[in-house]
Amino acid sequence: MASRPPRVDRSSPPSPGPIRPFQFPSFLRTRLANGLAVLAARHSDLPLISLELVTPAGGQYDPEGKSGLAALTAGVLDEGTSGRSAMEIASAAERLGGYFTTGADWDVGYLSTGLLAQNRAAGFELLADVAFHPTFPVEELERLQRQRLAEILRRTHDPSALADDRFHRVLYEGTVYAHPLIGEEDSLTTLDREALVDFYQRHYGLAGAALIAVGDFDPEELLREAESAFGSGGPPAPPPPPEIRPPSRPGISVHIVDRAGAAQTELRIGHPGVSRSHPDYPSLVVFNALLGGKFTSRINLNLRERHGYTYGASSRFSARMGPGPFTVNAAVATESTGAAAREVLFELRRIREALVEPAELAETQSYLVGVFPYTLQTIGDLAKRLETMAVFGLPDDYYTRHLERIAGVTREKVLEVARRHLDPERVAVVAVGPAEDLEPQFEGLGPVTVWSPQGEPQLV
Amino acid sequence: MSSAIPDLDLPFQYHKLANGLRVVLHRQPELPLVAVNLWYHVGSKDERPGRTGFAHLFEHMLFQGSEHVGTHDHFRLLQQVGGVANGSTWYDRTNYYATLPAHQLELGLWLESDRMGFFLPALTQENLDTQREVVMNERRQRIENQPYGLAGERLHELLYPPDHPYHWPVIGYMEDIAAATLEEVRTFFSTYYTPNNAVLTLAGDFDPETALERVEAWFGEIPPGPPVPPVTVPPARLGGERRAVLPDAVSLPRIYVGFRAPAYGERSWYAADVLASVLTGGKSSPLYRDLVYDRQIAQDVGASVSPYEKGGTFMMVATARPGVAIETLEEALLGHVAAAATALPDPVELERARNRLLTEIYSGLQKLDGVADLFSQFATYFDDPGGVAAEAGRYLEITPEELVELAATHCIESERAVVQVVPREAD
Repeated sequence: MASRPPRVDRSSPPSPGPIRPFQFPSFLRTRLANGLAVLAARHSDLPLISLELVTPAGGQYDPEGKSGLAALTAGVLDEGTSGRSAMEIASAAERLGGYFTTGADWDVGYLSTGLLAQNRAAGFELLADVAFHPTFPVEELERLQRQRLAEILRRTHDPSALADDRFHRVLYEGTVYAHPLIGEEDSLTTLDREALVDFYQRHYGLAGAALIAVGDFDPEELLREAESAFGSGGPPAPPPPPEIRPPSRPGISVHIVDRAGAAQTELRIGHPGVSRSHPDYPSLVVFNALLGGKFTSRINLNLRERHGYTYGASSRFSARMGPGPFTVNAAVATESTGAAAREVLFELRRIREALVEPAELAETQSYLVGVFPYTLQTIGDLAKRLETMAVFGLPDDYYTRHLERIAGVTREKVLEVARRHLDPERVAVVAVGPAEDLEPQFEGLGPVTVWSPQGEPQLV
Repeated sequence: MSSAIPDLDLPFQYHKLANGLRVVLHRQPELPLVAVNLWYHVGSKDERPGRTGFAHLFEHMLFQGSEHVGTHDHFRLLQQVGGVANGSTWYDRTNYYATLPAHQLELGLWLESDRMGFFLPALTQENLDTQREVVMNERRQRIENQPYGLAGERLHELLYPPDHPYHWPVIGYMEDIAAATLEEVRTFFSTYYTPNNAVLTLAGDFDPETALERVEAWFGEIPPGPPVPPVTVPPARLGGERRAVLPDAVSLPRIYVGFRAPAYGERSWYAADVLASVLTGGKSSPLYRDLVYDRQIAQDVGASVSPYEKGGTFMMVATARPGVAIETLEEALLGHVAAAATALPDPVELERARNRLLTEIYSGLQKLDGVADLFSQFATYFDDPGGVAAEAGRYLEITPEELVELAATHCIESERAVVQVVPREAD
C-alpha cells in the first residue's frame, strides 16, 4: 500500500453505503392447453437446471388406517416404468451427473430432477416417463416397504424423531397429521400394489398439478417443450383437501418419552397452528422471527445466551394447507429441562401481554427485508418460492410485494396475532430423555404421561 | 455427455497487507449481497491431548463481543440488517462468515477487524462460563445424544495414534471443555488470531478498488503476531488394522471403515474422491446397487474422503437391515474395496462419478458464502486462490489406473480402522 489510509472510527457501527434495490426475479406463470400450471424462471449464473412436477398427492390424503400411503406411492413411482427398470431410471439422471427423485410432503407429491442445462431434453423425457408410465412393480414395492419398516425401527432410537412423533400424536389425535409421513408399521405392512395404483390414479392425473422449471434456459422454448412432454390428457378437478380439525386441549399437558441414560433431552412445546392460507400468515412470519425464528430471537437469547441451557432454541409455524403445528424446538441439558420449558412459557406469555419494543420490531423487519436476496441465491431457492406460489395459490405479485408486506406489520398487529394464534395455557410439552430425572421437574406444570419409545404408556 | 473441462469464470484479486493479512477479492454483482469470509489457520490439530475442544470453544467466544462491540451485539448488528452469519471449526482451520446486503460491507469489516484487533478487553469469565455450557450442550446434541454419534470419534481415535493431531474430535472431550480457563483463551488468541495467520475473502457486489482501501483501513493497523507454532504429525502410515465394537442406543447395526488417505491437495487425494464417488455416488452406483438394491443387506451405504491438510480419512459407512449380521455387511463392503484395488473401474461408472463431481462443483458455487469459503480455503492451505477454478480440472485428470493404485496402496487391511456399532443389550 502506497499511502496510509485514514484512521477509522471504531466506536460505533459504520454507516451503510447507498442501498442497492432488489427485485424478485421475473418469471413466467401460465397454463398449458390442458390446464397444467407452468411456473418458470431463468437463472443463468451457472449451467444448471431444475425441473419439478408437484401434484396434490401429499400425506394429508392418506386414508384412515393407511398412513404412509402417499409417501410410499411417491417412493415407488420412480422404481419402474413401462420402458425402464428402477436402476435404469436411477442411472438415467446419475450418469449425466444429475439426480432424479420423488417424494411427498404433507400437501404434495413431487417428481424432481436437477441436471446440467445441456441435458434438459433428457430431463423432460425422464420426468414425463415417470409421471405417466409408472408400473409399481411388486418386488420394488416390497423392497421399499422393508426399507421403510427398518427406517421406522431406526426412529425408535432417534430422540429428535421420537419427540416430533409424540408431539404430533398429542396435537393431532384422530386426524391425519397425527401420524408421521413415512407411516406406521401396522399400516405400512398392509399397503399393497392395488392401494398404490389407486392413489396414483386419483392424485397424479395432473389435476391441480404444476410444473416448476428454473435454470439456464429460454422460458419460451421451455414452454414449447413442456407442451410436448405434458400437454396430453385433460385433468379433471383436483381432489379436495381433507378438513383437519385438531382435538381440543383442556390445558397444559406434559408427555415424557423415556430414554434411560440419554445424554440430553429433546424438547418440543406448542399446539396446532394455522393454515398457510390464513390471512394472518404473513404477519406471523414477522411475529415468529421476533419470538423464535432467528439467532437474536427472544427464545434463543433466553435459553442459549442468557441461560446456556441449549446449543440453540427456535420456534416455527409449519406452512401447510391444513393447520400445521406451531412448535418451539430445543435440545436441552436434562437437568435444565423443567427450567427451559418454563422459560419458553414465560416468553410465550410475555409476547401476548404487551406491545413489543419499537426497536425490536424494526430490527426484525429489517432482518427479514435484508435477508430476502440471500434466500434467493440458488436455483433450488427460486424453485421453492415458485412451488409455494403454485401450491398455495398465491397471486403473481406475492413475492414482489413481500418486502412491503413485512414493512407494514405494526406493533399492534404483532400483539393481535400473538393473542389470536398463541395459546400458552394449552400447550403440549414433549420431553424425550430419562423419565426418572425429568418427571420431578414438571411438577405443577400439568398432568404428566410417560411413554416408552415404542409408544406404550408407562405406569408412573 | 462427455467430461470436458468446464470453463469457470471466477475472477479474483489477491493482496497481502503489510501485517501479513492475505485478502482475496471476488466481484460477482448478480445480487446486491456481499460475503465477508475470514479463515484463521488454526483448528483442533493445534491443540494437545488433555486440552481438546479449545479451538471450537474459542470460536464461540469470538461471538461474545470485542472492545467496541457488546456481548450480544455481534449477531444482533448483523441480523438487524439482514445478514446471515456463523462460524465453524475444523481440524485444520476456523472460519467466520457473514453474507450481508452489499451496502453493509463496512459493517462486516468493522466487526471482523474489531475482534481480530480488539478482542481481549471484552473477555469475561461470565461469557466463558455460558459458552462452556452452550458447547457442552452442543456436544450432547451432536455427538452423545445422536444415534451412532460417537462412531466417527472412535474411528479417528483408532486411525490416528494418541499424539497425532487428528486423534481427538474437533468439538473436544467433555472434561476438557469443562476445564478451559480464561488464561488459555487469552494465550490462544495471541498465538493464533493474528493477521499473519488469516485470510479475508470478500465475494459479491462491490468495487474491488474501494473495498481494498477499506480493508486496509480497518485491518491495516492490527499488528502482526509471532510465527504460528508448527504442528508435528507422526508418520502417515497406520501399519496394522485397528478395530472396535461400540455398543450404542441404536436399532440397527452400522459399520464404519476408515483408511488413511492422502492429504488434501495431492493428486492422489483427488483419486480418492473420485473412487468414493465411483463406489457409492448415487442409487445407480455399484455399492448401492449390490448392498441396498440387489442383496438388500444394507439400509444405506456411503463413502467419502475428508479434505484434511495433513493426510485424510477415506471413510465408508453402511447400516445393516434388520436381521443382517454386521460381519456380512463388513465382508460385502470390503469385497468391493478389494475389487477396486485390482480391476479398472467400469468406464460408465467413472463417467458417472466425474459428471457427478462436476455438478457438485457447480452447485457449490451457487451461494456467495460457499464461493467465498472456497477462495479462503485455497488461499489458506495453498496460497493459491486460483485453485478454486482449477479444481474441476484436477478431478478430470485422474485416470482409471490411478484409482486402482490409490485403492491398492491406501485402502488395504494394514491401513484401516473398523468400528462396528451394535445395539446395546439393554435397548
